[in-house]
Amino acid sequence: MAERGFEISRLPGFATIAIAAFVLLYLPIVTLVAYSFNTSNSVAVWGGFSLHWYAEAWDNDDVKAATMRSLIIGASAAVLSTALATMAALGTTRRKAFKGQTFIYVVINQPLMVPEVVTAVALLIFFGIIKVATGYQGLGYLIAAHTAFCIPFAYLPIRARLESMDLALETAAADLYATPWQTFRRVTLPLLAPGIMAGAMLAFVISLDDVVITEFVKSGGQDTLPTYMLGQLRRAFTPEVNAISTMLLGVTVLLLTLFFLLTRKKD
Amino acid sequence: MKHLLSATAMVLASATLAAAEGELQLYNWGNYTSPELLEKFEKETGIKVTVTDYDSNDVALAKVEAGGSGFDLVVPSASYVPIWIEKGLVQELDLSKLPNHKNIAPEWTDVAWDPGRNHSVPWQWGSTGIAVNTKVYGGDINTSAVFLEVPPELVGKINVVPEMIDIVSLATMYVGGEPCSTDPEVMKKTRDVLLAAKPNWISMDYGATERLSNGDWAASVNWNGSTMRARIATNGDVQYGYPKEGYPIFMDSVMLLSDAKNVEEAYKFMDFIMVPENAAMISAFARYANGIAGSEAFMPEDMKTAAEVVVPEEHKAAGVFLPTCTGKGLEYMTAIWTELQK
Repeated sequence: MAERGFEISRLPGFATIAIAAFVLLYLPIVTLVAYSFNTSNSVAVWGGFSLHWYAEAWDNDDVKAATMRSLIIGASAAVLSTALATMAALGTTRRKAFKGQTFIYVVINQPLMVPEVVTAVALLIFFGIIKVATGYQGLGYLIAAHTAFCIPFAYLPIRARLESMDLALETAAADLYATPWQTFRRVTLPLLAPGIMAGAMLAFVISLDDVVITEFVKSGGQDTLPTYMLGQLRRAFTPEVNAISTMLLGVTVLLLTLFFLLTRKKD
Repeated sequence: MKHLLSATAMVLASATLAAAEGELQLYNWGNYTSPELLEKFEKETGIKVTVTDYDSNDVALAKVEAGGSGFDLVVPSASYVPIWIEKGLVQELDLSKLPNHKNIAPEWTDVAWDPGRNHSVPWQWGSTGIAVNTKVYGGDINTSAVFLEVPPELVGKINVVPEMIDIVSLATMYVGGEPCSTDPEVMKKTRDVLLAAKPNWISMDYGATERLSNGDWAASVNWNGSTMRARIATNGDVQYGYPKEGYPIFMDSVMLLSDAKNVEEAYKFMDFIMVPENAAMISAFARYANGIAGSEAFMPEDMKTAAEVVVPEEHKAAGVFLPTCTGKGLEYMTAIWTELQK
């Protein structure tokens, strides 16, 4: 920022690379969205514009049930993992550096490092034992699993926010005889809110996207939107899958836009 | 927030009641179960069927093996049926509870992987053959020579689906061997014929339905159901050939899990799908044949006479169930496939 003379956008090839990157990122998505309006039965041959596949997806009870399930799991996992991640972030940053700190980070962020399929198989076996012992087959397993792997995604933005917050404010509150709870409630939490929101949003989206762990953990009748879509693979894809993806994309974009508007005001 | 919690609680509660009376948990390939079939079954018996999807035999096997899956019925492919039986994951069927068992077509009753059908009942089956646009090539299409000794008209216009087991087995049978052969001589011939043919192929890719329909490809090694759609789209130009040297058949069959909770309901369902009229509903949805004698009469018009679904008598004998390849056989197969991909 201080060096006015250097600007990355003036480097040779900047525009070309930027355009190439955007095309690579967005062209497949644009194609997917475009073909969701296809009249024909095909995901590759254009047959004219129609909303037929949206109607089809809307009338499909399996899609509706899977969507509801995805949203319930996503919301539950986002709330639970964000609560846990907030506590973890406070516990690892609002204090003096301590021995074993790195170890704690590694433990918290374990789901980022362990290959997903390993976690999935481990959960499959572990939950299998519990399922046999208790007979409980409900959504609790999926919510627990999703909460676990969402924690690091919620933790990272919260911790980043905490680290950029000045500890002096909390020290000042304490000096003015605020109890630890009052300090937390009136000072730390309001300042931290954007980080918590970001963490929750990220956790929600990660949960919404998950395939591998869900596929292994789900019990009877618990297909989520992504595992439902995966199940369509055996037979030819129809633009119904595009239509579902487009709606999912729409929801995500809407949530993210809302989130940016909210946090911009707060800042 | 309160709503969310109560909604969550409701879902949790309802899921716990899943093993209640009049329920059945079917674990099946995705997009493979006709909703009308389930509706009809519920109307007749009052049993509500919950379908859960899987996309590979291995995932299904792993999940059930881990225990407590909560499913009653599963629909594995033929080569996996003996594995399920061997591992004790499925029960032997009490045929006295399946009066419609007699409806299984004779050629599907005594199958090598479940002799006498004491463990499984047919769901759907299909084959891997050769789809050819007969406007481009007018010769004999009932032979693997179409893709292994490509006729001049099809050079650079024929595709091969990238399915190792199907393709290598077709070539092995073409040179006179058994699929999954461990004879080095036979496998050497298999390799040579495939490598010699490859330069004449346009690609090794999926998506045959569309690219045969729009004329990008004039021929392809392909599945019967997909070829039927291409034939309809091209008004009959694309035809399906059954290689006389031998062609692979696949079949998915319904099996009753050892830890099934809704056993009576499961028997009712298995018996139900062996009624020709109901079996035809399965076919009408996923567009494959079903193995129940007399079901053709109830199929949609375009399937009743389809040579891809109702196999012509003279081609029946060449159909082969591919064995589960292991050891040396698999090693040769993989080596050939790797070389072919280069």
